[in-house]
Amino acid sequence: MADPTRALTARHVGGVYGRSLLAQIRAITEYPADFWVMASAGVMWNVLQFAFLTVLFAAVPDVAGWRYHEMLMLSGLLTVAAGSTALLCDGIWSTGTYVLKGEIDYRITRPAPVVVQVATSHIGMQGFGETAFGLVMVVYGWIGAGLGLAAVPAGLLGVACAVVIECALITMLCAVTFWIKGNNSIFAFVMLDLQHNAMTLPLALFPAAVKIVTMFVLPVAFVNFVPVAVLTGHLGPWWLIGTPLAAVASVLAALGVYRLGLRSYDSSGH
Amino acid sequence: MPILEARSLTKTFRRPDKASGFKGAVKHLVQRKYKNYTAVDGIDLSIEPGESVAYVGPNGAGKSTTVKLLTGILRPSEGTVRVMGRDPHTERIANAHDIGVLFGQRTQLWWDLPVEESLKLLKHMYGVSDADYQARIAKFDELLDLGEFMPALARTLSLGQRMRADLACALIHAPKMVYLDEPTIGLDISVKDRLRAFLRELVDDGTTLLLTSHDLADIEEVCERIVVIDKGAIAYDGPIQQLKAHYITTKAVHLILEGPADVPALAGKFPDYEWAAGESPSEVVVTYESNRFTTAEVLGGLTSQLAPRDLSLSEPSIEDVIRRLYAGELTK
Repeated sequence: MADPTRALTARHVGGVYGRSLLAQIRAITEYPADFWVMASAGVMWNVLQFAFLTVLFAAVPDVAGWRYHEMLMLSGLLTVAAGSTALLCDGIWSTGTYVLKGEIDYRITRPAPVVVQVATSHIGMQGFGETAFGLVMVVYGWIGAGLGLAAVPAGLLGVACAVVIECALITMLCAVTFWIKGNNSIFAFVMLDLQHNAMTLPLALFPAAVKIVTMFVLPVAFVNFVPVAVLTGHLGPWWLIGTPLAAVASVLAALGVYRLGLRSYDSSGH
Repeated sequence: MPILEARSLTKTFRRPDKASGFKGAVKHLVQRKYKNYTAVDGIDLSIEPGESVAYVGPNGAGKSTTVKLLTGILRPSEGTVRVMGRDPHTERIANAHDIGVLFGQRTQLWWDLPVEESLKLLKHMYGVSDADYQARIAKFDELLDLGEFMPALARTLSLGQRMRADLACALIHAPKMVYLDEPTIGLDISVKDRLRAFLRELVDDGTTLLLTSHDLADIEEVCERIVVIDKGAIAYDGPIQQLKAHYITTKAVHLILEGPADVPALAGKFPDYEWAAGESPSEVVVTYESNRFTTAEVLGGLTSQLAPRDLSLSEPSIEDVIRRLYAGELTK
């Protein structure tokens, strides 16, 4: 019978998550050179994206009805979401390695969710640069697109949901390594690659099947496309309701798949 | 009521069945075959509160797999485990508060953090109060000399320091049931002695202990009961003293004589004993059944008739007994 005094509470889980993450930030200070190199690398890649959009829109007035500053917001919000995952749950990428090496063992014997312990086992230092530069792109695009302060609450909701959805989807796809043994979380890599290649463009450019998949199967469209499209008037305001719904669904799916994966975990060294 | 009870505990793994070499690897890519491997085969184990149990066996016998089943890390293929009445796998969180685990070959310290930071993270994870935490750290410091390396990063610790820190991590929440898998592996004698003294104190305080080790001194010094496992099944389960009394039925006297030993002649003169040549021409080894003859009786007869220059006594160690159990020479 479950012991109610020992059940996990949101406060306890939040505390474990926060303390573990702070501990990782403290660990970063052991490698200052690494920090600056990685943080700069995070900025550099996105500077190239910024430059590409600037050069493109010097030649064309819009892409499928989307103008320069709107496209900057689209890229910027995806960059913020991806960069935040490196700061908030980068350890989840190590799931495959931990499974192969039996390093989930200790985490199972502690009174905290394994997914939280794994997610906070590492911080991707490139996330600092990536998130900061992504925010710069969003703010620059916001101002250029003429969005006022009234839209800020919707914008903040969009950013928050984008981060949650991105973390959840990466967690879910990394959990596949419980079954498909391997150090690399190929499915999560593929998702990120597709996002960077496809979701930085207006969804109107793609066929209906892509729209359905990105909205209702693997809801990456709710990370950046839907919030920015709502803010800029390309989609009706009621679409914004879908963003928190997609966030909740993604989190539930991620936790469920990770839990299923743990059931099939067989450690190492039998 | 037992603190730990396992019934018909079985764990079967699926392993790739592929030929060796490059060709075998390539063939396995397109034609995947697997075979089942039973690591733990129908084990029944019951441990009472406060017991200290050694769980020993040769490499690959299923010791670590059993520990992982008992701690909830693995799900049994068949059978049940109950720790304080709970299934450790499905009631993982509640169970975690009552158990402490140490895997000697791995660390649970946060690699780039000072030891004290790892302990504080675990303190919060287990919800240990400040007062209890301070009292336990003080005790660990007294018995394990933690203080000298508490501010050090985990990656800078020696193996002995790392093991002591890991032991503190496993016990910071004062668990009732502790599993130690090879806690002294790779340690030097002085650190081993310190760890064993600490474990004895732990047992004296009423903690239930299950210890796996290849170092039989760990077992003899810390545990009262021994469970020998081989090929996934229990080969012996009982008190260590009983194991010794039951299986150690012979003793040997090593005699150094004044001149070369004539073993056949001596065997003819003392037919109740077994005689064998020693390491030097003048040395002879006399083995006698300790339940038939007293040592005084044997020594009296030998010294009065042979007048040896020197002599020493020996008896088979528990290590010899376990080696013979592994080899199937002894039965339960």
